[in-house]
Amino acid sequence: MRINLVGFGVIGKGFAKTLIMKQDWLKSRYGFEPRVVSISDLSGTLVNPGGIDLSATLETVNRTGRIIDCSGASGMQSLDAIRGVEADLMVEVTPTNVVTGEPGLSHMLTAMDAGKHVVTSNKGPLALAYKKLKAASEKKGVQFKFESSAGGAMPLINLANEVLSGDEIISIKGILNGTTNFILTKMTKEGTDFETTLKEAQELGIAETDPSYDISGSDTASKLVILTNAILGREATYSDVSVQGITKITPEAIALAKEEGFVIKLIGEVEDGRLSVAPQLVPENHPLNVDGTLNVASFTTDLAGDVTIVGRGAGAIETNSAILSDILSIYRGVAGR
Amino acid sequence: MRIELDVELKDKPGQLIKALEPISRLGGNLISVIHLRETLTKRGRVPVHIIVSLENLETLETLLTELEANDIWVAKVDEVRRKKRLTILLIGHVVDTDIRDTIDRLNNISGVLVADMSLSMPHPEKETSALMDIEISKPDKLALALDELELIAREKGLTLVKSLEI
Ligand SMILES: NC(=O)c1ccc[n+]([C@@H]2O[C@H](COP(=O)([O-])OP(=O)(O)OC[C@H]3O[C@@H](n4cnc5c(N)ncnc54)[C@H](OP(=O)(O)O)[C@@H]3O)[C@@H](O)[C@H]2O)c1
Repeated sequence: MRINLVGFGVIGKGFAKTLIMKQDWLKSRYGFEPRVVSISDLSGTLVNPGGIDLSATLETVNRTGRIIDCSGASGMQSLDAIRGVEADLMVEVTPTNVVTGEPGLSHMLTAMDAGKHVVTSNKGPLALAYKKLKAASEKKGVQFKFESSAGGAMPLINLANEVLSGDEIISIKGILNGTTNFILTKMTKEGTDFETTLKEAQELGIAETDPSYDISGSDTASKLVILTNAILGREATYSDVSVQGITKITPEAIALAKEEGFVIKLIGEVEDGRLSVAPQLVPENHPLNVDGTLNVASFTTDLAGDVTIVGRGAGAIETNSAILSDILSIYRGVAGR
Repeated sequence: MRIELDVELKDKPGQLIKALEPISRLGGNLISVIHLRETLTKRGRVPVHIIVSLENLETLETLLTELEANDIWVAKVDEVRRKKRLTILLIGHVVDTDIRDTIDRLNNISGVLVADMSLSMPHPEKETSALMDIEISKPDKLALALDELELIAREKGLTLVKSLEI
């Protein structure tokens, strides 16, 4: 299977590392021999129809930060690479933008138009234009998979749609952002205020320099939209979510809640057709009370009752667990294995 | 008369005795007590199933009032659900924005009662937090109470934190 890789940051490089690490195993277990035939970032594209040397590419980009510095790379733009470099599947891992969805949206539509399957971790296009992307993939008869975009390594979409395919999922709720969970957990354990705890999280590299996307609840909202559409079969967009972040939470509020046996968590929830992201009081012994950067999601179903899954919501290698599983499911479908 | 009570205790030592003491004082006879120490309720309380023989309905009413005054929640009487409890948190200038009015507006909805409230005021100028326990005795009033809370929070510029199980 030939792959166009678009985006070579944390997740793109993690993808290359994962393929190197799992190469022999993938071959012996599934007979699967993926070949990355192009890698694009903003600086340009590296092409090799016979399969790019991933170790050498990682070595160069770790040093210079740009694909253009790899030997044989050109200034070719990502869209031209998607159109021009023959492949079966595109892995799209460029930055999330919830206002325009770009550059991911154009990358995905272009790949589908060229008859390529799409696997992505990019939330923006999904939260804004799921309907359009789904229609485009159906029209061209290509697969469109995005397990890694909501919940990182947690296999939520596949769990609901494959394993629980006989169940009707009635509601979904969970903690879908590790940064805010880390901040709230630390405030709870140490009694520190929001600003101080945010600074600590930034120093530890857990919160971004611009943390607004996480702490405002936007990241959770995007993921909630993705899960709602993929699992409940809706066509919701980001603007359908009522969003409240964690910036107003005080240590006193957390302490009061604790006295009554509650913790405060940022919960994304879809119930009775309503999508909301807000801090909520969660009983201390409740399965959704997970600490640190962990994520958790719980489905209420008609047959199985509540099913809850806890895991890593981010990380270079963890996220690639979900990307690889999407690729394998496409490969096995195509190859009839 | 034989009555089955499902009560919920705080997860702290010494709570069970607080539940049982009024029963004997009111002349009731304990038939059985099942104390499910290991399985907390969704709200983090310890469920206890009590079977008791009481003189009459009047004794039952007195008992229920006493239990609730002791912060023992009576979830069900003879399998009939009594009240729903709603715990919410308000953050902001809760006191300065007329807390009396906030409570009155909730209590004015029939079947809704602010049963308990704890306040935390770190500093007169800083934001206050108020944790409220609201009793809903008519199930259909829950949505009304929540709407009113949201309206109050919006009008007074407060942050409303609801609890998960509603
Ligand atoms: N990090 C995580 O743990 C995680 C988990 C789940 C999902 N995600 C999602 O996965 C995606 C990638 O995340 P990341 O952490 O890898 O981001 P990142 O480190 O910022 O990397 C983004 C990559 O995309 C490239 N890029 C930007 N604009 C481009 C364009 N127009 N054409 C081609 N390439 C372009 C960047 O190139 P330059 O370096 O040249 O700018 C960079 O190589 C995001 O959508 C993120 O939300 C991340």
